Amino acid sequence: MATPPVELRNKRLLLDYQLPSQLGEIAKLAEAVEGVLPNRPDLAFTANLCLEELITNTINYGLSGAPDRVIRVRISLSDDWLEILLKDDAPPFDPFAEAPTPDLDLDIDERPIGGLGVHMVKSMMDAAHAYYDGSGNLIVLLKTLRS
Amino acid sequence: MTFQSVITMKEGVHHILLTGRVDSATAGEFEQTLKNLFDTEGSKVILNFAGLNYISSAGLRVVLMAAKRAKQNQGRLVLCGLLPHVREVFEISGFLKILEVIGDCEQALSLLKA
Repeated sequence: MATPPVELRNKRLLLDYQLPSQLGEIAKLAEAVEGVLPNRPDLAFTANLCLEELITNTINYGLSGAPDRVIRVRISLSDDWLEILLKDDAPPFDPFAEAPTPDLDLDIDERPIGGLGVHMVKSMMDAAHAYYDGSGNLIVLLKTLRS
Repeated sequence: MTFQSVITMKEGVHHILLTGRVDSATAGEFEQTLKNLFDTEGSKVILNFAGLNYISSAGLRVVLMAAKRAKQNQGRLVLCGLLPHVREVFEISGFLKILEVIGDCEQALSLLKA
């Protein structure tokens, strides 16, 4: 993993999106993300995969399936980094601290069903952190622009 | 783009053409598609990923369940035609080590009908 800098140089906001807390809304967010990263489909794919994994967790577990909440997504680009912010109003939960690391060397009979989402986010991003600010969880993801 | 699947039977092999995206909203449909394929012993199934642009852990879960059932019922499941970014999702999850994944779908068919 590359080490992200404290300061992101020339950061500009590409997308500020309010997602209704329903799984069927994620495909529309994906289109919006593709729309703001037209020259980097690889980056858009990675961003969308990580967004879906985290948003699905938030909707199914954090919000217990409540369909009437809003999850805010902000995507920015700096000279060297893609930054993704996710904000919900669910109870405190840090997926990066709490999700167990899957054992990828198990045989097909022993592999458990599920438990891969957070692992994928950690593998695809250079940094992934969750914070609780009293009103909800803020997740910050960083990915280097080097392909 | 949403998810679609078309099942055809070719020389004793079920061929399933997937298109679109498998995410947490469409994984249920994907699961229905694969549900009964390995009920009979010795079923041979090709999952053609050539038209699938996106898969998340919700879709991998369905593939793993199908692979487990295939093994239990002496069946065979082969995945083919994965786009590079989709293949990477399988790689990161350790699935390339436990699933049969072949680049070329014609080759997958000749392997299974043999």
